[in-house]
Amino acid sequence: MTENIHTVIISKDLADLIPVFFRNRQKEVEALRSALAAGDFEQLRQLGHRMKGVGNSYGFAKVSEIGKRVEDDAGAANKTAIDACIGEYADYLSKVQIVYE
Amino acid sequence: MNDQVAAGNSADAQADYRVLVVDDDPDMVAFLVLLLQGEGMAVDTAANGESALMHVMRAPPDLVLLDVMMPGASGFDVCRRIKGDEATAMIPIVLVTALEDGENRVRGIEAGADDFLSKPVKREELIARVKTLRRLHDTRKELESRRLAAEVQRKEAIRKAFSRYISPRLAERITAEAGEHGDPFQGRAQRTSVVALFADLRGFTRLTEQNEVGAVVAMLNEYFAVLTETAYQHDGTIFNMAGDSLLVGFNVPFPQPDAAERAWRTALEMVARFGPVAASWQQRHGLTVGVGIGMCAGEAIIGNVGSTHYASYTIIGNPVNTAARLMQMAAAGEVLVCGPLYERIRHLVPAGRAATRGDVTLRGKSESIPVFAVSAGAREQA
Repeated sequence: MTENIHTVIISKDLADLIPVFFRNRQKEVEALRSALAAGDFEQLRQLGHRMKGVGNSYGFAKVSEIGKRVEDDAGAANKTAIDACIGEYADYLSKVQIVYE
Repeated sequence: MNDQVAAGNSADAQADYRVLVVDDDPDMVAFLVLLLQGEGMAVDTAANGESALMHVMRAPPDLVLLDVMMPGASGFDVCRRIKGDEATAMIPIVLVTALEDGENRVRGIEAGADDFLSKPVKREELIARVKTLRRLHDTRKELESRRLAAEVQRKEAIRKAFSRYISPRLAERITAEAGEHGDPFQGRAQRTSVVALFADLRGFTRLTEQNEVGAVVAMLNEYFAVLTETAYQHDGTIFNMAGDSLLVGFNVPFPQPDAAERAWRTALEMVARFGPVAASWQQRHGLTVGVGIGMCAGEAIIGNVGSTHYASYTIIGNPVNTAARLMQMAAAGEVLVCGPLYERIRHLVPAGRAATRGDVTLRGKSESIPVFAVSAGAREQA
């Protein structure tokens, strides 16, 4: 079961912030799903923009990468692509493993 | 994270560099706070543009890290408003944005942003930029404190220079109102309504004839000390001191609605305060002396007159000439007042102390003027 684990190395001074950071990412997945169900592309674009900004600031490059795709796909009103992004995001969050250094 | 002073750093209150972080994403705020506090800076936070503006007005920070895309007022709007207010325009603003395109950079520059930081934020870049801005801030503070020190020194020099002519209170007021450059009397040349008071010492000639130079100077110093202190007490401006005469102006360089009353009280007090000095001279030197005063009101020209080598703050005009002539006519302990001025002070003159001299043609004048003589004995209360 190790092949799908995403290991991310994070500066240890961020350790206290990480639990809240992940709770907010889980909420973000729900918010993305709701916005997609409602066809609210502006909301999706804003959520993607936020993911893009915050993800790699903490060291999670994948969050920023998915966020950029959500933002772009929302601009193109591409529901299918966004749905795929949300699935990938949820999967990533469930499998990410953090190493502090 | 709510708007607040970021907690968790005991050094926060002592930090002398305060950053305001404005972002609607609490994770981004927490991240920036952690890094900035790690650099020994105090950090406040705001979750939207409106509360950021309120914070800046209430407690101006040394730096603003400002997100661009926020609900309500955008970072561009907030930046424009901070930079558009004279009181906050100097606060550096770094726009923190995930908007990569050049058009948004231009919008940021147009809004007055000092620098940009891209999201995702690279901590090394953030720290380097903030440190640079902090160095600039420290340099500016140092220059500002030097400028303020120089300004205080300059004002003190002006105050000292002009306290020769005017009372300390008036000197304080002039230096407080002085502009950035030049002396405060520059450009004040004007025609204005004044009250001129001339005082001199009756019996001065005998005094100089009967005493050694050193004694004459000491006596004159004693006499002028009484007169100048009295003039300053009533906020008169001393324009000239020559021989044994003193010229004092009122309603200059600042308006004094009660100039006539001030001049009158000054005259009475000069005579009264010189009384004991005169009595002492009589006892020590057998001299009979007293102060004679002439006063007149009217339009005069006030300003700095002279050359680059020598100039003096001068009062020129008819009331000055008339006051000088009246002073020459006044006996010891007597105050001669021109008609128009007397009308303004007659309510202050005790009954039986004033007498008209009728219309008098003064030396060098073609027309006669009404003159009143007021006896101002040494025991007169000012």
